Amino acid sequence: MKTVMINASPKKKGDVSGHLLQMQRIMLHGTVVKEKLRTQGDHDRILEQLRDADTVVFSMPLYVDGVPSHVLAFMENMEAFCKEHDLQLQLYVISNGGFIEGSQNRALMQVFENFCDRCKIGWGGGIGIGGGVMVNVMRILLVVYTGLFLLQLLTGNVQGGLMQYGEQLLVLLFFHLGIFWCMFRTGAAMRKKECAGVRFTRVLVPSLIFILMADLFFVLMSLFQGGLFRGWLKKK
Amino acid sequence: MKVILHDLPEKYTELLQKHCDTVIRADGKYAPCQGCFGCWTKHPAECYLRDSLHTVCRTLGRADELIIITRNCYGMYSPAVKNILDRSIGLSTPFSTYRGKQMHHTLRYGKHALLKVLAYGDMTAQEEKTFAYMAERNAVNFGYEASSFIPMKSLAELEEDVL
Repeated sequence: MKTVMINASPKKKGDVSGHLLQMQRIMLHGTVVKEKLRTQGDHDRILEQLRDADTVVFSMPLYVDGVPSHVLAFMENMEAFCKEHDLQLQLYVISNGGFIEGSQNRALMQVFENFCDRCKIGWGGGIGIGGGVMVNVMRILLVVYTGLFLLQLLTGNVQGGLMQYGEQLLVLLFFHLGIFWCMFRTGAAMRKKECAGVRFTRVLVPSLIFILMADLFFVLMSLFQGGLFRGWLKKK
Repeated sequence: MKVILHDLPEKYTELLQKHCDTVIRADGKYAPCQGCFGCWTKHPAECYLRDSLHTVCRTLGRADELIIITRNCYGMYSPAVKNILDRSIGLSTPFSTYRGKQMHHTLRYGKHALLKVLAYGDMTAQEEKTFAYMAERNAVNFGYEASSFIPMKSLAELEEDVL
């Protein structure tokens, strides 16, 4: 069984979409090919991979309630390719939005279901994830925690370091529980090439706290980009 | 201010111009959004890409009424139109709030009156439902107080529905 995983984030590195695909990858068997979809130049290469594939998994950020424009352009080419070569694919989607509610990905999922109808390929469903940026933050925290743990090992504080590291991992695991569960269920369906249905989940943080953290994130981001409050709220 | 965003052939721009303050033609000759958030944090309401969409969010942000005329693409805008919407997030600020009981960004230019979406081209019943839902969601996201979605059977309906 061949699965093509398409990371459709426009970012060159540090994207959440690729990270989510890596997590989903763990739950798949058989040949898995990873592809990056950023520009028109990627289309032909990815379409060739689809020729003998059984399943295809898209992962992308939610842009203005829907599919990013560069992915839409690819979908139009893919529709023609599917019809021309009579592909028997099963398609799944993992989308992540910046807002905390996973259900804000609903319209995007509907668009992909419509797309599958047009292409006459199987709609496998997908996962709409809210609070995607936090997944990235937690990935960074995992690296930091691991670094600190190793440092404690070097200084001889094995027991204390292990306890602290264990607690930190459990907290990170808790925030991811919804995502892991959805990936587990969707992964099981992917292995059987069945429809998983559409699931919405989120990083398990209350929305008000998430909003405060998101605001802080953008303040810090601006600070690292050269300064704060350069007419952030002004009409330009 | 009334703004019309469309992906029709160039000859329609002149016709539409007579009935609004600004016409934006989605000709597809621009790059897609790179997801850098620079239009929020580094150079507000301005994209770092120096093409025709460099400051398009300011035009959309000032629209009281926005009419989008687009080819249907699986129950969504055409790639050229969606590209412009993707590049317009600078019309909001990086800060968040609740709108329609869900998290959204605060609006740089305040609330708008009406978002009207007209879609043409082959459209299934399910795509029509999806598109109506999409227009509703976009209206909440961009801060429009009312929205409507009109599937057009042919471009002949354009004059009746838009003008």
